[in-house]
Amino acid sequence: MSSAEFAQIAVNAILLSGILALVALGFSLVWGIMNIVNLAHGAFVVLGAYFTFYLNELAGVDPFVSIPLSMVTLFIIGFIVQRVLINQVVRAPLLATFLLTFGLEILIVNLVNYFFKADLRSVTTRYSGTGWTVGVVRVPYIRLAALGIALVLVALTAWFLRATRQGRAIRATGMDIDAARLTGVKVGTIYSLTYAIGAALAGAAGSLLSMIVPFDPNIGGPYTQRAFVISVLGGLGEVANVVLGALLYAFVDVFVGARLPELSQAFTFAALVILLVLRPEGIAGKKFYA
Amino acid sequence: MKQFAGCAALAIVAAFAVPLANPLPASAADTIVLGAAISITGKTAKEGEYTRDGYQFAIDTLNQNGGIKVGGKSYQLQLKYYDDETKSERTAQLFEKLVNEDKVNFLLGPYASAPTGTAAPIAEKYKIPMVEANGSAESIFTKGYKYSFMVLSPAKLYLRGIIDVVRKKDPSAKTVAILGENEPFSKEVAQGVAEYAKQLGMNVVYHELYPSNTQDVSSLLTNVKAKNPDIVLGAGHLQDSLLIVKQAKDLGVSPRAMGFSVGPSSPEFRANLKQDADYLFGATQWTSALKYVGEDVWKTPEAYAKAFKAKYPKYGVIPYQVAESSAAVIVYQKALEKAGTLDPKKVRDVIAALDFTSFYGQIKFDSRGVNIYKPMAVEQLQPDGNKYTVYPTEVAEKEALYPMPPWNRRASR
Repeated sequence: MSSAEFAQIAVNAILLSGILALVALGFSLVWGIMNIVNLAHGAFVVLGAYFTFYLNELAGVDPFVSIPLSMVTLFIIGFIVQRVLINQVVRAPLLATFLLTFGLEILIVNLVNYFFKADLRSVTTRYSGTGWTVGVVRVPYIRLAALGIALVLVALTAWFLRATRQGRAIRATGMDIDAARLTGVKVGTIYSLTYAIGAALAGAAGSLLSMIVPFDPNIGGPYTQRAFVISVLGGLGEVANVVLGALLYAFVDVFVGARLPELSQAFTFAALVILLVLRPEGIAGKKFYA
Repeated sequence: MKQFAGCAALAIVAAFAVPLANPLPASAADTIVLGAAISITGKTAKEGEYTRDGYQFAIDTLNQNGGIKVGGKSYQLQLKYYDDETKSERTAQLFEKLVNEDKVNFLLGPYASAPTGTAAPIAEKYKIPMVEANGSAESIFTKGYKYSFMVLSPAKLYLRGIIDVVRKKDPSAKTVAILGENEPFSKEVAQGVAEYAKQLGMNVVYHELYPSNTQDVSSLLTNVKAKNPDIVLGAGHLQDSLLIVKQAKDLGVSPRAMGFSVGPSSPEFRANLKQDADYLFGATQWTSALKYVGEDVWKTPEAYAKAFKAKYPKYGVIPYQVAESSAAVIVYQKALEKAGTLDPKKVRDVIAALDFTSFYGQIKFDSRGVNIYKPMAVEQLQPDGNKYTVYPTEVAEKEALYPMPPWNRRASR
C-alpha cells in the first residue's frame, strides 16, 4: 500500500465513522438510558432517508435543509410510538422489548415497502461526488459535511444530557427509575422524550445516508446491526462513546476492506467478539452499565 | 388492558410478518399451475417484482389467446407464488410447499442464483421440471441435475461484450479492474470476464470480491484508482453498482470505460444517478432493440415490449428480467404442446430437446440445462438521457461513446 493510498483510506475511514457514529447515537442513548435494545432503530433511519428523498424529489428541498425537518418529524413519531407501544413493556423482561421492537421494525419496513415501493433510491444533487483534492487525498464534500453534522449532534446530545434539567432527568431515570420517580421526575414523559430523541437522531442519520448510499426499505436491519456493534464497541452510559466505537468499526471495516474485502464484515464482528471478551464494558464504557 | 394492547400490537406485527401469498384458488382440473418462490421483499425485491410480472404477463397473454393445447385439450395457466424474502433457505422451504401442499404441475425459478441453487435440488428430488430465468450461475448446473433448465446466457458471458465494445473502439485498452460481489453468480461473472480479458492479452490489474450488502466500497476503489485501469467492471447487483458509481465519483476514479453486470439496464439506475449515469455500460440478457424473429405469441422483442407496456404502464423501459421470466413460461408452452401430456418426466425430456427462437432469442439447452446459445447484449446510457443497445454490433442502435470523460471535466446540467 503506497502512502497515498494509505492516506486516502485513512480519510475514507474517518469520514465513514462520522455517519456511523450518528447512526449509533440514538440507539446508544435509548439502550443506555432505557435499557431497550431498539431493534426498530434502523427502520427510523429508513424513514429519515425517505423523508429527505421525497422532500428533495417533490419539493426540491436541499437534503441538508431537510435534516432538521426530518428530525422533528421522527421526534414526533418516536414520541407517539413510545407512548402507545413501548411504555407497555418498559418494565417487562428484556425479551419482551426485543420482541416488540423487532415486530415494530418489520411493521415499519413493510409499510414503507407498501407505500414507497421496493425501488432503490438515492438523493443526487448538483454537488454529489464533488470534493476537495488535498494533495493526493480526495475529500468528498457530502461525507465531510456528514462528519461535521454527526459530531455536532453527538456534542449537542452529550451537552443536553449533562447541562439541561430534562437531560439530567433522563440520566437520573437511567440510573435508578424508582429514585427518579421519588424526586418528582415524570418517568413516562422522560422515557417518551428519550425515545423520541433517539428516533430524531436516527432521522438525521437517515437524511445523511440518503445522499451517501443507495437505499430501499430493507437497509434498516443492517444499520441496526451496525448501531449495535458500535454502541457495544464504544461502551454504553456515555453517548459520546459512539464516536470511539464508530472510529474502531470504520477503521477495521475500511482497512480490512483494502486488503481482504471479502472479509471486511467478518472482521468488524470479530472485533466485537474480541472486545467483549477482553473488555466487556466497551472501549470507554462504565462497568455500571454493562 | 395494557397487556392486551401489547398482545394486540404483537398480533398485528405477526400478521405483517407472514409472507404475502397470492390468494389463488386451488388448481382446477383444466388448469396447469406453475409454482415459484420469488423475492417480493428483501434485498432483491425489485428484481423479484420484475420476475413475477414477467411470469404473470406471459401467463395472462397465453390464457387470453386460448390457453395452451396439451393432447387436444385446452388448459389455462395459473401462477402460484410465495415471497421468499430474498432468503435462500426460505426459497427451498417454499418450493417443498409448492410441490407437497399446493401440488403445482411445474416449477418456475426464483430470482437470483443463490435461491435458484437451493430450489434446483427440490425439483430434482420430486422429479418435477423447473425452468428458471433468473439464476445464471453455472455452478447450479454442474451437479448433474436433470430437471433444472435455464433460459439465460450463463454468468461468465455477462461482461464479455463490454470488453468487446471497448476493444473495438480502442484496441490499445489494456488494463481491467474487476470488483465482484462475493456470491455465486457475481463470482462467476467476475471470473468469466477476467479469463476473457486474459485470453485477449489484456492485463487484469485488480480483481477483488466485496461482501454482499456492502455499504462502502471506498477501500476497493482507492486501490483501483492507484492502478489507473482503462476499464473498471462491476459484477454485483443494482445496489452495489450504484454505490460503486457514487463512490468512484467521490474518489475521482475515472477510467476510460466503466460497466456493470447488473444495474444499468434497470430504470432505477438512471433515476438514482441522474447525469452521473452517462457513458456507463451495462450487460443485459435482452433489450427490446434486438432484432430476433421468434416463434411465439409476440415474435419480436419490439412487439413484446409494446404488449407488456400496454398491460403494465408503470414500466418505462422493460427490464430484461421481465422478458426472460416470460421466456421461461414460453418454454413450458412449447414443451407441453409438443409433449401432449402433463407427465413431468415426459415434459422434462421434451424441454431438454427443445430448440426454437423466441422473442427472447434462441432457446436451446446444453446437456447441463444451460442455454449457451444466446449471446449477451450491451447497453450504454448516453448523455441525451437515453439508453442504447450498442452490442452485438449487428443490431446496435447507436455507436458507443468512448472514452468516458473524467468526472471533473463534465459540464453540470
